[in-house]
Amino acid sequence: MEQLKIDFDKVIESLKLSDENINSRKKNFNQFIENGFPNKKVEDWKFSDLNQIISSNIENLCFHSDLELSEIDETIFIDKFAHNKIVFLNGAISNIDFNYEDDTKVLLTRDLNQNENFKEVNPLVSLNNALTASYIRVTVKENYSFNKPLIIYNITTKDLKSTALNLKTDIVLEKNSSLKVINLFDDNSENNFINIVQNFDIAQDATLKNYKIDHKTNSNIKYCYNNINLEKNSISENFIFSTGSKFIKNEINCNLNDEYSSAFINGILNLTKSQHHEIKTNINHLAENTKSYQLIKSVLNDNAKGIYQGKIYVDAKAQKTNGYQLSKALLLNENTEFDGKPELEIYADDVKCSHGATSGNLDEDAIFYLMSRGLSHQQSKELLIKGFLLDAVEKITDEEIKNLIKDMMGIVE
Amino acid sequence: MLQIKDLKAKIDNKEILKGLNLEIKSGEVHAIMGPNGSGKSTLSNVLSGKKGYTVSGDVTYLNENLLDLEIEERAHKGIFLAFQYPLEIPGVNTNIFLKTSLNAIKKAKGEKELDAIEFLKLVKQKASELKFDEKILSRQLNVGFSGGEKKKNEILQMSILNPKLSILDETDSGLDIDALKIVSEGVNALRSKESSFLIITHYQRLLEYIKPDFVHVLINGQIVKSGGSELALELESKGYENLS
Repeated sequence: MEQLKIDFDKVIESLKLSDENINSRKKNFNQFIENGFPNKKVEDWKFSDLNQIISSNIENLCFHSDLELSEIDETIFIDKFAHNKIVFLNGAISNIDFNYEDDTKVLLTRDLNQNENFKEVNPLVSLNNALTASYIRVTVKENYSFNKPLIIYNITTKDLKSTALNLKTDIVLEKNSSLKVINLFDDNSENNFINIVQNFDIAQDATLKNYKIDHKTNSNIKYCYNNINLEKNSISENFIFSTGSKFIKNEINCNLNDEYSSAFINGILNLTKSQHHEIKTNINHLAENTKSYQLIKSVLNDNAKGIYQGKIYVDAKAQKTNGYQLSKALLLNENTEFDGKPELEIYADDVKCSHGATSGNLDEDAIFYLMSRGLSHQQSKELLIKGFLLDAVEKITDEEIKNLIKDMMGIVE
Repeated sequence: MLQIKDLKAKIDNKEILKGLNLEIKSGEVHAIMGPNGSGKSTLSNVLSGKKGYTVSGDVTYLNENLLDLEIEERAHKGIFLAFQYPLEIPGVNTNIFLKTSLNAIKKAKGEKELDAIEFLKLVKQKASELKFDEKILSRQLNVGFSGGEKKKNEILQMSILNPKLSILDETDSGLDIDALKIVSEGVNALRSKESSFLIITHYQRLLEYIKPDFVHVLINGQIVKSGGSELALELESKGYENLS
């Protein structure tokens, strides 16, 4: 903790911050110091003891990095379709490119003092608030629809080791605007803790499609917190492709603040070895006629661990809510573990809410059927596993991005 | 082609097949009829290699010990089982499955695999012969198919894979008369000097359309009577009870 205080002072010193901002950061810093990294005694973290995970994977975690920007290896950029870019390289913003858009319709700011999103949510968000050195806000003006998707690249290079990175993005969609954003991880570093906080404000009639891709195998420990505010008749579609990191917890808090807003959160966990991934959602239905839909599919191999905690809260005002969540897990080995915790908290009486969860192994009869057609045991298993996961991938409404993810899964059509 | 001698099969310590003998030569069509629980489906499962059975006896297929072969090796060597209840496989596109299956068998035989265009041409031709709507083939394998569509899909697979020994496990059950005709035509089109069929059925109805060379009656795990196609008619009128 001594080192953490020294690092905190270094961060504050290195950034040009207003007094107000510094005070707020100090408050957040103290909140983190009081609580530390969450452990399994904290209800939300009972399946993922982050304190233990960090201490057993990372020695001498450093919270301040003065790495110089290195060259970006451009081959990691997606070449399947044209897109806008924001590149975080080892925690610093190295590249911003909105060439496909009308620059009067898209506002960008990187001014840390303008980031007012200092809410007390949990110690990790507080830690992020205290230490963020890289920040960007993208505002999409009223009635503007992006021509091309925005890919936010989170790249780390080999130079980086045992460092905590704290990144923050705000996305603001004004009325009747639309944006597709992909958060893509490309980890080449080892044993870092990456803490990402993103806030999405989606105004009336606006549509956000938000896809997260953690695909490349890596030894980093990650926490991603997304807060989504939805206004009248707006839509948020989310997909989480979770297969790369040693540990990642994706937490989504989604507020359906006004009528006819809807949220979709689908995702897959596809894990091997000792990977440990969690998806945690809080969907808050706060107005009438709001809708939420969640489908999470998990495939666990070796001694991997997967967790899905999904909570649907329906406020007394939120009549005619339609809430749905389903989790299905395939456990391919007896050493795997899947923990599911569905929660419904309902205070309105005219609502439609349902949840379901299944877990089990592959269907032996289905394997027999495929093998009787000449497929090997391995081929049959792979086909069934991909088919199982595809069910969730098919929910992606953007064809380009759906095909990108299918490609990454090795699905050829 | 296939010689079965004293075949016994147990599952969960219960003996289902109790010393079955049968010989099928190239080009022959054999029908096996029998009441529920007589071991008809067990016979088809054991011949195609399904796990879970304790099997003894001798089964020689094309001069090889069939019981030593893995499920997929049997398929590579030309054995095909049309399932009584074809499985629904979510997320697996029917066309992709068919192509994977055909190419796995071609590869095992050392033949050239088909590319996407060659395959589509073949599938189109076979589907139209079976009056099978091609659109169904872009759907997930058997998911949401009607009973008749599932059975037609089995016969389509059979005609694409062109097996040497086809085992049809109650393919007629759940088919209306039109579908039954189409399925029968599909089977008849595959009859040749090199290919043999083992048709397992409850009723004589299917055998009006696919005329067997031999009919066997399976009761309580053993073949109790064999004869020509006229035996099927006799069974239809007299029932199984007078046989045992």
